[in-house]
Amino acid sequence: MKTRILLRRAALLGLALGILATTGCNRTEPGANDSRPRVALVVKTLNSPFFLDMQRGAQKAAEQLGVDLIVQAAEREVDVERQMQIVENLIQTRVDVLCLTPSGSKELVPVVGKANRAGIPVLIVDTRLDEAAVKNDGVEFACFIGSDNYEGGRIAGAHFGRVFTNDTRLVVLEGIPGHETADSRVRGFRDGIKPFANLHLAASQPANNERDQGFNVMQNMLQAHRDIQGVFASNDMMALGALEAIRAADRAGQIKVVGFDAVEEARKEIAAGTMEGSVAQNPEAMGRLAIENAVKVLQGEPVPDYLPVPIELVTR
Amino acid sequence: MNFKKLLLHHGRQLGTLAGLLLLVLALSLRTPYFLTVSNLLTVLEQVSINAIVAVGMTVVIITAGIDLSVGSILAFAGVVMATVLQKDLPVPLGLAVGLGVGVGCGLLNGLLITIGRLPPFIATLGMMSIARGGALLFTNGRPVSGFSDGFRALATSQFLYIPMPTLIMLGVYVACHLLLTRTRFGLYAYAMGGNEQATHLSGINVRLHKTLVYGLCGLTSAIAAVILTARLNSAQPIAGMTYELDAIAATVIGGASLMGGQGTLVGTLIGALLMGVLRNGLNLLEVSSFLQQVIIGAVIIVAVLLDMTLKQNRK
Amino acid sequence: MRGIGKSFPGVRALDGVDFDLQPGEVHVLLGENGAGKSTLMKILSGACRPDEGEIHLAGQPQRIATPHHAQSLGISTIYQEFNLVPHLPVSANIFLGREPRRAGFLLDRRAMRRQAARALQELDVAIDPAAPVSTLGVAEQQMIEVTKALSLDARILVMDEPTSALTGGEIETLFAIVRRLRARGVGIVYISHRMEEIFQIGDRVTVLRDGRKVATHRLADVTTADLIREMADRELTEHFPREAVEPGPPVLQVRDLTTRTKLRGVSLELRRGEILGIAGLLGAGRTELARAIFGVDPIRSGEIRVHGCPASLRSPREAIRAGIGLLPEDRRQFGLVLPLSIKHNVSLPNTDRVYPRGLLRTAEERRLAQECVTGLRIKTPHIDQASGNLSGGNQQKVVLGKWLARKSDIFIFDEPTRGIDVGAKVEIYRLMNRLTRDGAGILMISSELPEVLGMSDRILVMREGRITGEFTRSEATQEAVLAAALGTTA
Repeated sequence: MKTRILLRRAALLGLALGILATTGCNRTEPGANDSRPRVALVVKTLNSPFFLDMQRGAQKAAEQLGVDLIVQAAEREVDVERQMQIVENLIQTRVDVLCLTPSGSKELVPVVGKANRAGIPVLIVDTRLDEAAVKNDGVEFACFIGSDNYEGGRIAGAHFGRVFTNDTRLVVLEGIPGHETADSRVRGFRDGIKPFANLHLAASQPANNERDQGFNVMQNMLQAHRDIQGVFASNDMMALGALEAIRAADRAGQIKVVGFDAVEEARKEIAAGTMEGSVAQNPEAMGRLAIENAVKVLQGEPVPDYLPVPIELVTR
Repeated sequence: MNFKKLLLHHGRQLGTLAGLLLLVLALSLRTPYFLTVSNLLTVLEQVSINAIVAVGMTVVIITAGIDLSVGSILAFAGVVMATVLQKDLPVPLGLAVGLGVGVGCGLLNGLLITIGRLPPFIATLGMMSIARGGALLFTNGRPVSGFSDGFRALATSQFLYIPMPTLIMLGVYVACHLLLTRTRFGLYAYAMGGNEQATHLSGINVRLHKTLVYGLCGLTSAIAAVILTARLNSAQPIAGMTYELDAIAATVIGGASLMGGQGTLVGTLIGALLMGVLRNGLNLLEVSSFLQQVIIGAVIIVAVLLDMTLKQNRK
Repeated sequence: MRGIGKSFPGVRALDGVDFDLQPGEVHVLLGENGAGKSTLMKILSGACRPDEGEIHLAGQPQRIATPHHAQSLGISTIYQEFNLVPHLPVSANIFLGREPRRAGFLLDRRAMRRQAARALQELDVAIDPAAPVSTLGVAEQQMIEVTKALSLDARILVMDEPTSALTGGEIETLFAIVRRLRARGVGIVYISHRMEEIFQIGDRVTVLRDGRKVATHRLADVTTADLIREMADRELTEHFPREAVEPGPPVLQVRDLTTRTKLRGVSLELRRGEILGIAGLLGAGRTELARAIFGVDPIRSGEIRVHGCPASLRSPREAIRAGIGLLPEDRRQFGLVLPLSIKHNVSLPNTDRVYPRGLLRTAEERRLAQECVTGLRIKTPHIDQASGNLSGGNQQKVVLGKWLARKSDIFIFDEPTRGIDVGAKVEIYRLMNRLTRDGAGILMISSELPEVLGMSDRILVMREGRITGEFTRSEATQEAVLAAALGTTA
């Protein structure tokens, strides 16, 4: 009697798992079309417009070039180890090329080494790997495709120099600490405002690339520094959060916010005149270039070490 | 007779094991990449971190407690250890400091709960924030990266083709399984979770042993920190976020009851494997990360629901 | 109520009880612990249903299905444990579940407070309707319960030991309210142990004993002594196999034991080979005595000597080391870890033997558990059985087995046979005989008078945290013990 119940339970559990596993598979059967090259694009997260744009560009290119594209990401951008697991799993499926936007510049170096050992060429997209770590581990990648984030930050800083002529206090919302992309942007921004003696940096704090944290950090900054006139956020999510905080404090229009990435929502705010500007990367082009160059690598054609993707400041 | 006894005492674990085997079977049929030695070894390596964190969590849950701070303790122990390692001190010293930080945070949890009489949920919620903040303060928010090959070997080397993290995981499971089944510490853990008052009235120092249980949980978090740090060649202060939820999930899928008094490490290991296999398989099947979350959540609910209905049937 | 009967597994709680209540009278229900008062009250309040018999309300036959139904019929009950939500204000508590509303779903707090104020005023109670109940004293909380009951238009009010937590002045206030209700025509069922009170407030009294009605009298016609005789008088039909053992030197001496909770200067002496019975009503401090001796509750003053030597028993651990074993009143809550096996429960206080140097010796663990199962004749398929699956009697034996394996020689049995069927009871009694024969001393706390009289060599009676009587086996009678427990002279 008991035995039967237990067996039934086991069977039910297995059945449920089996159904879940199979219904989850609604893509084309992997390996169904063996002649087409399989290219994997692993991004940081798929709940940000930036990476969705990148995915769109990659998909378009993949269709044109006849490539099977696999796009994967961790649930959370900060979960570096999970991204590493995804890459490990893709190595197991023996993809032909791997395009990776590393969520950690140093942390993903070991797994790129694993891809090297498995003979899978790697292209790094959007975020650079840490040079020292790359050298130390002796890993190789075919090419880096990405915006010059430092240059983007510098442009934003120079823009503030043009806009403000009086003594002005600025604040910076930083991204996830230790991330190469965010760090370069902030570094670029600081260098960008350096030539202007009237610009002063009042505070610079991380808000982890998230909108709600951008809101909270901005709110605190508004409390601490009542005379802020300009904000640079190293991504648009934080910039939009900061914009909300400024509105909530009834200071809309008094503080100029410049973000980074020029996502759809930020562009709307800029068009409405509520946001000063945003440094536009071109994630769609990044995705497209990644796939195009992946195919080149497969075909043995040479690719450049660094492929800059155009960057510009979007203003009204 | 033996089979019957096995079913009677380990029915829950066998059920989960059957689920795991069926999942393996289903995945083997769906994708050619799953059932390969190298992929299975990859899965075993990937589950090691969650599985080790889940060891401490299981013991805590057996005592009818909960530890929400495991992920933060992992990060804190990791960055402290990493900092020591970068000072060119011997690796064992770095390991000892890291494990010490983990045990210390765990014991503090335990004292807050036993002497401070805080509910475990509250005490460890506080510690979750304190240890995370500690890790960020300690490093100014930046990861600590770049270690000696000797240290990195803890994640990258193999023994008889088996990855080192897997071996460490197995070691932790064997040791803690013996601790739970062969020592008075284990008996007291089950007894405290089953009926704390009766345990106290049996002359057992409940406060001491409960504190030790949380210390053990801190220790396993720190062991996981060692593997994670070696694997990424970097210790991040933001590492381990939501690891507590994965550990609780593995424990619960493995048959432990949040009401305490029940649970085995064999079950938890199977639970952790089930989650790892599922994640790996869904990656191989190219399922989107959003759908993966839905599926994992559903598996947790289905596993516990089945367990509950069958427990009721038995009564 | 006519011919009411109710059985619980193994117990006939009520047997053909008739009971009637007139409007505007206070009818006292009197009886020992377990006489059937609570069961009768529960039937009246709809908390449980009778197996037989009928209930008429104002001449109409009624089936009282649920507590809610009882309320709608005008029957309100005030239990000893109040049913109040501590953090809600008085007004919300009075109207809980039938709050005045606006527009169908919005709470009308103002109307609620107004109506509450009016209801409190009617009873001449000066309590702020907005105050949270948790800020009120016990007496005030009781007034809230009364107000709540009356706001339900109660025609019948059942009060269970309403004065047990009140002081002299508060009792007077309560009685004033009871009299006012009586004058309004409310019928009141009043349950109490306090003899003096009964004569002060009651009109009629019904005495219950062992689930049967003994008699109903007008209180003006009887004396305390009559009532006590009726409560206690019963043939000792049950079998108590106490074998006399020549008592040896004292194993446990307690002098002037006082605790923060209940005990006030308790002294006693337990000798080798003796069963010392502790009688008393619920709340007399008997369980507190057991807890204090066993090191659970801290001792404020007084001294405990074990085998003649002063002992410091600040935790159960120390008490167990001194050779004391407690069989608690509520086995399931305090005695056993139910999900764990018999084997593991027996091991718990014996880890020094089962885990020498911290490591399990399987053979020793099994031997200990097997000895316990065989020696105490515990009915179970195997020692790996979860103790929660055992019957009450067998569970009690496992608790005993924990201490026997330690060779304890001072046992505290708190309600040793509660919830145990008759056959197993006798078995427990025989085990107690065996223990005393082997040189142990037993402190037996029991609410069952026949058990105390039948099994004890000596009897102490407790009342309100003190010892109020001591009897030898030969001089103890049910009347005398009961009178001491009630605090009256028989």
